[in-house]
Amino acid sequence: MTRKHTCAPGFFRCTLALAITSIVIAAPYLYAQKSGPTENEVKSAYLYNFGKFVEWPAKAASVGEFFSICVLGDNSFASTLETTIAGESINGKKMLVKHVAKPQDSVGCRILFISSSQQTRLKEILAELDNASVLTVSDMPEFTRRGGMIQFVVESNKVRFEVNLTSAERSGLTLSSQLLKVAINVKRSTQSGG
Amino acid sequence: MFWVRDSSIAKRLTRMNILVSGAGLFLCCAVFVAYDVVSFREAMVHNLSIQAQIAGSDSVSALLFNDPQAAQNTLSALKAAPNIVSAGIYTPESRPFAMYRRDGAGQSLSLPPIPPGQIEAHWFKDGHLLVVRKIVFQEKPAGTVFIRSDLHEMSHRLKRYAGIAAIVLLASMIAALLVGSVFQRAVAQPIVHLAELAGIVSRDKDYSVRANPTGNGDEPDILVRAFNEMLGQIQEREGALQEVHRDLEQRVEARTAQLADANKELERQNHEVERATRLKSRFLASMSHELRTPLNAIVGFSDLLAEGGPGELNPKQKRFVNHIKEGSAHLLQLINDILDLSKIEAGQLELHCEYFHVKESLPEVLSTIRPLAMAKNIQVEHALEIDRPAYADRVRFKQILYNLLSNAVKFTPKDGRISIECANDGDFVCISVIDTGIGIRAEDQAVVFEEFRQVEGGKDSTQEGTGLGLAITKRLVEQQGGTISLASEPGNGSRFTFTLPAGIKPNTNASATNTLSATIPQRVAAGEGSSRPLVLIVDDELPARELLASYLSSEYRIAMASSGAEAVEKAEQLRPDAITLDVFLAGGNGFETLAVLRQTPGLKNTPVIIVSIVDQQRLGLALGAADYLIKPIRKALLLETIRKHVPSQLDDDEAILLVDDDPTTLELLADILRSAGYETQSVQSGKRALEVLSSKLVSAVLLDLLMPGMDGFEVIRHVRQDAALKELPIFVMTGKSLTPEESDLLARDTQALLLKNGSWQQQLVAEVERVIQSRKLARSAGQS
Repeated sequence: MTRKHTCAPGFFRCTLALAITSIVIAAPYLYAQKSGPTENEVKSAYLYNFGKFVEWPAKAASVGEFFSICVLGDNSFASTLETTIAGESINGKKMLVKHVAKPQDSVGCRILFISSSQQTRLKEILAELDNASVLTVSDMPEFTRRGGMIQFVVESNKVRFEVNLTSAERSGLTLSSQLLKVAINVKRSTQSGG
Repeated sequence: MFWVRDSSIAKRLTRMNILVSGAGLFLCCAVFVAYDVVSFREAMVHNLSIQAQIAGSDSVSALLFNDPQAAQNTLSALKAAPNIVSAGIYTPESRPFAMYRRDGAGQSLSLPPIPPGQIEAHWFKDGHLLVVRKIVFQEKPAGTVFIRSDLHEMSHRLKRYAGIAAIVLLASMIAALLVGSVFQRAVAQPIVHLAELAGIVSRDKDYSVRANPTGNGDEPDILVRAFNEMLGQIQEREGALQEVHRDLEQRVEARTAQLADANKELERQNHEVERATRLKSRFLASMSHELRTPLNAIVGFSDLLAEGGPGELNPKQKRFVNHIKEGSAHLLQLINDILDLSKIEAGQLELHCEYFHVKESLPEVLSTIRPLAMAKNIQVEHALEIDRPAYADRVRFKQILYNLLSNAVKFTPKDGRISIECANDGDFVCISVIDTGIGIRAEDQAVVFEEFRQVEGGKDSTQEGTGLGLAITKRLVEQQGGTISLASEPGNGSRFTFTLPAGIKPNTNASATNTLSATIPQRVAAGEGSSRPLVLIVDDELPARELLASYLSSEYRIAMASSGAEAVEKAEQLRPDAITLDVFLAGGNGFETLAVLRQTPGLKNTPVIIVSIVDQQRLGLALGAADYLIKPIRKALLLETIRKHVPSQLDDDEAILLVDDDPTTLELLADILRSAGYETQSVQSGKRALEVLSSKLVSAVLLDLLMPGMDGFEVIRHVRQDAALKELPIFVMTGKSLTPEESDLLARDTQALLLKNGSWQQQLVAEVERVIQSRKLARSAGQS
């Protein structure tokens, strides 16, 4: 929000600054994806879009006045996400990015992005979240197999995703068929690690 | 308009049905098809829009998660709709995202722009329907979907509709035709029936036919009833007409029969009349013969007795003979008159009309009447102011004039005066006989022209006559186209005037008046028994003519002419034995006359002696004159000169054959001819005559026509068929009334015809003399 305030003196200057910043940040990807957005930007947009195709149980949906996307672990992704969803809202609820340190803090979050850095402690994290109506998304390998709900996969330079529908249903979430249509892989029964 | 041409009402009705129903159906079909097209288009747009909407919303996730394959899959579902040609999904930046083509080719399509403010737009373009629709997801534009559909379904549908419409039209027309024929039977049939009937009626005139009324009281029914009624009236009238016609025919037949009867009756009567007429004319013919024959004997012999031929009579005998003469003359006149009148009444009077000059005929009549007039010392004058010839029968004209003159003499007292006036009156010649006689009372004037009426109460007994003269005169005048009238006052004489049609022949003989008076008495004188040669004296001066005539009259008969033209005419007519010709003539030069005479056939050898004051002997002789004498001449020289050229005596070497069945007539004729110096031989039948002719040479034949056995006509036929006797002169003498055929025959085959109803004796001698003289001349000419 502060950044937003700093931009206040001139919209043009702010946009320009943002563009320059974006280019600087996205520089390593520029060559890979040609003139397209960065992987993180795409993932941020996907995270935002997931909110549109998932239904949360009424109890969970009514909590709080924001639609919060929480990021566990890597901070750098959070900032990109923040930029993507700035000013956006879903179902009349303003979107918010929260950085959480531990899974317990994710209470009230609709979507929890688990950074790859948390790979080792994934089992505890998922256990902590058990039964909480939170859509778990990560780009770590084997995420859906280990009980995560949506896992980003890069396939031929394109960001795709896999879905573990059983995990989602266990948490009381309903994933739209539209979403499942564009998913590259939808798992019906969990191959629980435990 | 095709349906006006065809006269059949049934066909017209049918066509009208088809046209009306066809037009209605066609309009309906057209409207329905148009409505269907519009609503079908709307439905198409709607459907395509829905499909675009579905495709769009199905492609939302694909767009959001940048998964073109998913969008492609979505679009592939459009295969189910065969009408969709192509479709495409576009990103919000209008970049093609996913494409679909029915035929497989993957070419990208350019996206038509959507008007601002609208979410969807459509176009019909190039036989396609295009729909473009924005994809909105949670109020945010997610992209654009574009679908293009062909219109095959619509055209199929249209074709189907058109086919159905055509079938419906066809079916309905057939239905209309069927219904129309039923309808036609109801409406047109009575009219057609009526038309056929009218045709039959006008063609066959059959008014008994009737049209069948339909009985439903509509207009055709009324028409049929009216037609029937009309036919009924016509039939009625026709019947009445035919009745009248029949009646008329019957009447015509009856009348025709009556007429036929009447005709038959008329024919019968006509036959009877004809028979009566035939009988009457036969009676007339025989009567004229039978009556005249004895009368001729009486007249002839009493004449001879009176002239003292057989011996001088004592005065008493002479007186008796004169009584016989007078009585028989009167009887002859009476018989002639009665026969004339009968002929006129029987319509058998034959007129031989010709052009002649009154002044030429007048002297003959005068010479006959003058002795009668002189006996009562009555002066006869005449004044002729006339330049046109009359067209009439010359003989009858003389008879008319003679009758009027003798009538005038009869009623004019001693020392009276009779004058003849002759003048032109328009197209008529008008002749009046005026006397100073006793006159006729007005009440008697009307009856003088009636038969057997004589005005009585004359003051002396000089009246005599048959009472037929004026009646005959009137009829003769009228038969010739003239009129006769009478103007008279008792005591102041009478004026009888008659007219005859005038001819147009110009008067060629202006100075004939003078010569006629001299010529005719000369001809009469010639009948006195002389057989002397005839000399024609041509001179324009009367004293000169008379001087010459006095020199010559002792030895020659004389004829005179006062002009060249008259000279030629007379010469041709009279065939004189010699001609004396003056060079100075009133009408022209004598030399010219001489030249004409020399060129005239039959006159070439007639000697012409020029007697003139001028001495042109050489010229005259060169022109053919026999001699040339210069005045004044002496009698002796003239006689000597003429004697040189003309023998004054006849050589009577041949006899004249007399043929008559009546011995008294034969004796009379023989006596007359002998006294004129001719030899005669008499026979009493035609057969005998032919025998004589075949054995003996005769100079002429005097023939009676009515004879028992061979009659005169047969004799003539035999004579004319005989080559040796062809030229033999035949004189016919008869009391018979001649038919035109007989007259023609006699005119052709005989030289003279003497009728026993007048003064035939003188005529006989004259004719015999003429014919024999000319024969002699011709013979001598043939010998020389």
